[in-house]
Amino acid sequence: MAALASTTRTIARKWTPHALPLAAKATAAASVHQTRSISETHQTSSFDSPFKGAGAGTKIPSFAAYRNKSGGETGPRVFSYFMVGTMGALASLGAKNTVQDFLVNMSASADVLAQAKVEIDLSAIPEGKNVIIKWRGKPVFIRHRTDAEVQEAEDTKWESLRDPQSDSDRVKKPEWLIMLGVCTHLGCVPIGEAGDFGGWFCPCHGSHYDISGRIRKGPAPLNLEIPEYDFPEEGKVVIG
Amino acid sequence: MAGLASSIYNALFRRNTVMLGTVFASAFAMQLGFDTGSEKIWNSINQGRQWKDIKHKFMEQAEDDEE
Repeated sequence: MAALASTTRTIARKWTPHALPLAAKATAAASVHQTRSISETHQTSSFDSPFKGAGAGTKIPSFAAYRNKSGGETGPRVFSYFMVGTMGALASLGAKNTVQDFLVNMSASADVLAQAKVEIDLSAIPEGKNVIIKWRGKPVFIRHRTDAEVQEAEDTKWESLRDPQSDSDRVKKPEWLIMLGVCTHLGCVPIGEAGDFGGWFCPCHGSHYDISGRIRKGPAPLNLEIPEYDFPEEGKVVIG
Repeated sequence: MAGLASSIYNALFRRNTVMLGTVFASAFAMQLGFDTGSEKIWNSINQGRQWKDIKHKFMEQAEDDEE
């Protein structure tokens, strides 16, 4: 029993110091194997395909037919810039036409434009008479004023009126007063040759306009509106 | 050929601003040409059938009606 114990003790003693050299030996063997494998890889200078039978059949095609033979690079460069520029020009044309179509779509159509202007023969209107015509769905008053009425309209002290405006600002020719027949209060149509000032009178709420269409009395805040009009020739007026 | 190409490159494409101007100018010219060309083709196809071709018949009649 004592002999066995001493034997095991001796083995254990011997084994413990031997364990480290064994591990060192294994590491050395592994490093040797590594270096050998690297040297094997570097033995050949070219790449060998790892697949069987793939090495012999690979052929690199010739691109000589596609290469620039002229030598300089100016020609191809001009060509590619030309293509880019043409593309840009076509694209900008398309963009411009798209925008233009939308804008044209928004503008007035031909039937609206045809009704936008009205031509009136003024020679049929005697002096001192009113004519009411329809323009863009609204009444337009045309008054052939007498000399006395023109004098009265010009002599009025317009600076103190509610909407101060001189008679010369409201007419192009003094004898022809042309204005929209819509009361500026709530949009009724005033009655001609009525009211306290010899002009127009709105029956709805009692606004009085003078012979120049200016508001003189009543609730309306502004003078009767003057439309765009022109005298293209003698005895003709075009409204609009 | 190379001289022409390089002079075109130097004149039109070298500076980006000049290239942009060239592109817009050519777009304008293209539109002008396209519009006039297509208009001519349209008029040649529809010759004698448009209002401007038959206008004189009806306008004379209308004047006669008025008098």
